[in-house]
Amino acid sequence: MQAFGGIHQVGRGLKTVAIHTWREPTTEAYPDKAPELPPHFKGRLALTVNPDTGENLCISCRQCERVCPDKCIEITAHKSPETNKLELIDFKIDHGLCMFCGLCTEVCPTYCIINTNDFEMADYTRSSLIYDLKKLTLSKEESAYYFEAKEMPLPKPKPAKPAATEAKPAANAAVAPEAKPAAGSSTATVEAKPATDSAATAPPAVNPVPTTESTKEPGAQPTSNEPKPQASNETI
Amino acid sequence: MIANAAEIRKFSVLSLGWLTVIFGAVWIVCWIAGVFIPACLANSSFDFAAALSEICKALTPLLAVMVFIPINAMFMVLFERRGLALFTLRKGPNRVGPDGALQTAADAIKLLLKEDITPTGADALMFTLAPVVFFAPSIFGALPLLAAVTNNHQLFQVVNLPTGIFYVLAASSVPVVGIVMGGWASNNKYSLMGGLRSVAQAISYEIPLVLSIITICLLAGTLDVVTIASQQAGGLLNWNIFGGGALVGLSKAIAAVISPTGASFFDIITTYYPYGWWSLLGALVLCLSTFVLFGVYITGACAEINRIPFDLPEAESELVSGYNTEYSGMKFAIFFLAEFTNLFIVSTIAVVMFLGGGGCPLPDWMNPLCYPAIYEPLTKLLSPVLWFLIDFAHLIDPATFWAALWVISKTYTLIFFAVLVRGTLPRFRIDQLLDFGWKRLVPITLVIFVLVSFARGVINFHV
Repeated sequence: MQAFGGIHQVGRGLKTVAIHTWREPTTEAYPDKAPELPPHFKGRLALTVNPDTGENLCISCRQCERVCPDKCIEITAHKSPETNKLELIDFKIDHGLCMFCGLCTEVCPTYCIINTNDFEMADYTRSSLIYDLKKLTLSKEESAYYFEAKEMPLPKPKPAKPAATEAKPAANAAVAPEAKPAAGSSTATVEAKPATDSAATAPPAVNPVPTTESTKEPGAQPTSNEPKPQASNETI
Repeated sequence: MIANAAEIRKFSVLSLGWLTVIFGAVWIVCWIAGVFIPACLANSSFDFAAALSEICKALTPLLAVMVFIPINAMFMVLFERRGLALFTLRKGPNRVGPDGALQTAADAIKLLLKEDITPTGADALMFTLAPVVFFAPSIFGALPLLAAVTNNHQLFQVVNLPTGIFYVLAASSVPVVGIVMGGWASNNKYSLMGGLRSVAQAISYEIPLVLSIITICLLAGTLDVVTIASQQAGGLLNWNIFGGGALVGLSKAIAAVISPTGASFFDIITTYYPYGWWSLLGALVLCLSTFVLFGVYITGACAEINRIPFDLPEAESELVSGYNTEYSGMKFAIFFLAEFTNLFIVSTIAVVMFLGGGGCPLPDWMNPLCYPAIYEPLTKLLSPVLWFLIDFAHLIDPATFWAALWVISKTYTLIFFAVLVRGTLPRFRIDQLLDFGWKRLVPITLVIFVLVSFARGVINFHV
């Protein structure tokens, strides 16, 4: 009797497994088809800009630098002699050290530093995993996407108004004050280009250049998320 | 309709493609060695022509096996991986070649190019010989089966031994020695453990395996595989799995009813079943017995070739692949090859002994019902092609062709079942394994052996 019970059980098992043949595989065709990640996925770190104006949201408060357990964030900023405010010169994140805990995104007061859905960062050298301000900054469209997806409150339009009024003097002054910190601070001399970019970010009206130019690579990621699967489905 | 239709279609296309390649290659090689070269030599005038053509013909079976085994093993690995993927809701290898069709070919090339390591402290000679001892029996053990699966084709009559199945069973028990040799020579405790387990397992399961085959031989009255296969010709009811010929009378009686030939239904019944109710009882006992025997054979064969759920000698999770642990490169490839070839051979034995060999599963009397009206015109239309293939080039022998086709499909059905079992059942514990072998299977086969020898007396077989 026990033997028949055993055979019955084995038969049931075989039947169950055989029925699985008709079910669709749960495998994701990853390289052919981008995975659908939730917006709170903790991927590569990036800096958002104001989706409307394209202004960098970082206020150089260094909270993320302080809270980072891996010490992988390095912020270079200086006090602007004119506005007496902190100005961002460079922002470096070593993704080779980062453990994607997301603490920096939690402390950020302006929702500037965020985790994106991008996770394909494989590279040939460790040094190329150190992302600078140019590589970190997202485009307007991407920022808008993440602000909506992560349900973060949009940045207030308040700083935009004085900036608009001071657009002319700021644009004129942009060249002059830039030379002084470049000569004075030791870090800025090495990288002249990001320094000019960050100095130019202060007047938001004048500079569409850094946002459009710098984020070509990551720009492909969130926007191409939707159309890609359909195209690749046919090829599989 | 079916959620997984795409994957199933890919799996079928892949299998059919590979099978065509495998058997096409074997077919062509056999044709060249057995027909083409002798035909060319027949017209030549030099002295050794006759001797050379005889040598070519005699080498045909060996060539067939040598070509068949490596390609077939490659396909079977892929078949198993894709099959398991179907059962476990995965896709399986699908990157190399169209739908992953060349995955195992790539694997094979990789294995052949890998460094061949002999571990420190290993017995180098034994370590090298072990894969050979493991693999060789699967080549020479398969030879008699060739005659059975090709419907005793003229070229393969060489390998048709009068004691065919005895020889096959004897050959299939040799690989255990290879496993123990490999396990001992590896200088590794896991390998040794695997080798020792393999011996215990082989001794326990060889007995029910052989007893089940012997019982079938008792029913068939011969050890010759070709005779056993040809006795089962003529449909499902004649197969050994359904009574070992006990239903032949029934089949013939039904045939007499459907297409009257003079003999009446009751005449045939009384000829085959002369003792009335006793004969009916005997037929029932035989049907049940042979069915159970088939189960016992499959179980024993699984254990004999170390298939899951009896893969204790190579248990990955316990013994880190047992006797395989220290092997790499070419030697590992040979072990791998032999394992899958053994699976193929035991499935072929099952097909020849239980499932009617090269016979069509449909009974003969169903032929007029099954062949549609287009069959005749189609044959006429293709007659020039058929004439070229069959009569002119001797490329196809219809009897052999259909027999081979049926054997292939039946064998691969059994292999698919083995994959299903692998996807379902967990591994036995060693004491459960031995218990199951000695306390269940051996008594069952002994009881069935006695029952069958009595039941056989009340029915006329193969009149």
